[in-house]
Amino acid sequence: MLRLLTLIFLGWMPLQLLAQDGTAQLQQLMAKWNLVKDYTVQVNIRSEIPLIKSFPVKATLYFKQKDQFRMVSKGIAILPKQNFNELPKFLQQKDRYTALITGSELIQNQKTTIITVLPSDDSGDLVLLKVWIDSKTDLLLKSQTTTRSNGTISALYEYGSQRAVGLPDKMIFTVEVKKFKIPKGLATDINRSSSPDAAKPTPKNGKITISFADYQINKGIKDEIFRK
Amino acid sequence: MLWNSVYNEFIKITAKPRSYLGLLAITVLVGVILFALKVDGKSMISFVTSSFEQTLSFEGELLNGNLVAFIVLQMLIIHIPLLVALVTGDLVSGEAASGTIRMLLTKPISRTQVLLSKFIAGAVYTLCLIIWLGIMAVIIGKLLFGNGDLMVLNSDGLVILQEQDVNWRYLGGFAVAFLALLTVSTLSICLSCFSSNSIGPIVLTMAIIILFTIIGTLDVQLFDSIRPYLFTTHMASWRSFFEEPLPTADIIKSVIILLAHQVLLIGLALYQFNKKDITS
Repeated sequence: MLRLLTLIFLGWMPLQLLAQDGTAQLQQLMAKWNLVKDYTVQVNIRSEIPLIKSFPVKATLYFKQKDQFRMVSKGIAILPKQNFNELPKFLQQKDRYTALITGSELIQNQKTTIITVLPSDDSGDLVLLKVWIDSKTDLLLKSQTTTRSNGTISALYEYGSQRAVGLPDKMIFTVEVKKFKIPKGLATDINRSSSPDAAKPTPKNGKITISFADYQINKGIKDEIFRK
Repeated sequence: MLWNSVYNEFIKITAKPRSYLGLLAITVLVGVILFALKVDGKSMISFVTSSFEQTLSFEGELLNGNLVAFIVLQMLIIHIPLLVALVTGDLVSGEAASGTIRMLLTKPISRTQVLLSKFIAGAVYTLCLIIWLGIMAVIIGKLLFGNGDLMVLNSDGLVILQEQDVNWRYLGGFAVAFLALLTVSTLSICLSCFSSNSIGPIVLTMAIIILFTIIGTLDVQLFDSIRPYLFTTHMASWRSFFEEPLPTADIIKSVIILLAHQVLLIGLALYQFNKKDITS
């Protein structure tokens, strides 16, 4: 019995230590993000989603601490369901998850630490979150979010002018795309025969690239912008 | 002489109360659709996009004047042929029924010119209907709902067209829709040459449109060979202007088939009208 308890204890101890390490690294990442009280940035959104034909869209993105986000776009922009504001919002709530270091990997030629984040609430929509953090710079280079409702969404982050505060210049989302099928009656192009492309197998993943330019950081943003 | 006759024919059309029925019907129908979309348009749009919104989210104003105009066109373009046939279907037979055709043919103008003037007057009336539909759908729609990118839902996916890329597509779409309605107008005038009562050609025109539409819609192999040549198959070709990339070859094919129908029907009508023994 004593031997069994020792084994369980020995197995649990490193797990706890790793979990603490993971949380600490996430805190460093968030400390960087928290330097930014607000920002305005011009974004260019390019979507390559199977069965959706669209053009790049320009928009303005506003952010204000703690979690106020607003995107103003004249055109129609397609974004992943779990987009850029969800991840920081979730990671700010330390009591809602356990973070474990689960390995390391080379991303964009940088050695990264993989941190697996397990939500405390089993019944919530978020099932699993994995983040790849550059150990040297504390920059988030990749994230992978798995939710019950939206499947898995991965994002790659590229940094430029605002790497000091952890704001990316480019984000590339890869989303799982379920087979979209619009009933003919709803589309009302009843006389239209299916295009030759319709017979081709549809790719399972879509890509959304968001480029950020002209960051205006900590210049102050009125709350009214977020109320519209 | 031909243009004087066209003018006279158009005067006759404007003198008939039923000619205004089409304009009134378009005004009321578009008004009802615009009101419904203003009240509950967003829930309708979310119903349509729900298939995509499991994974993706749409930012920006989906319900805008361009989408509203597209919905209006999609809903009404199927019913406009009835409004066209209602007026053009009795351009010849109506005069035969009322006995004025004899007097008309005593004028120093050939039968061919008389009939051609009726075709032209019918085309002008059809053009007025389509312009009015355009004003109601596009201009009023944009005034009420504002401008924006157009999201077009096809059975095999979604196309999002940029705001600045939409107006020329509407112009092209309306031009092809006009050609389609002109074919209906030509058909009803042609049938009108074979009849001596007003209602017959109107009903027969609608019956032909319904029959051809059913043949075009039925997924039966038997009809595969004739389906591409039915004018009803090409009546929805205005939609092709809202595809990306633009299916130019398909549009040209549709225009050729619609024009071929018109030439054939005008030829048939001229043959019948010229050899017709006017007894009424």
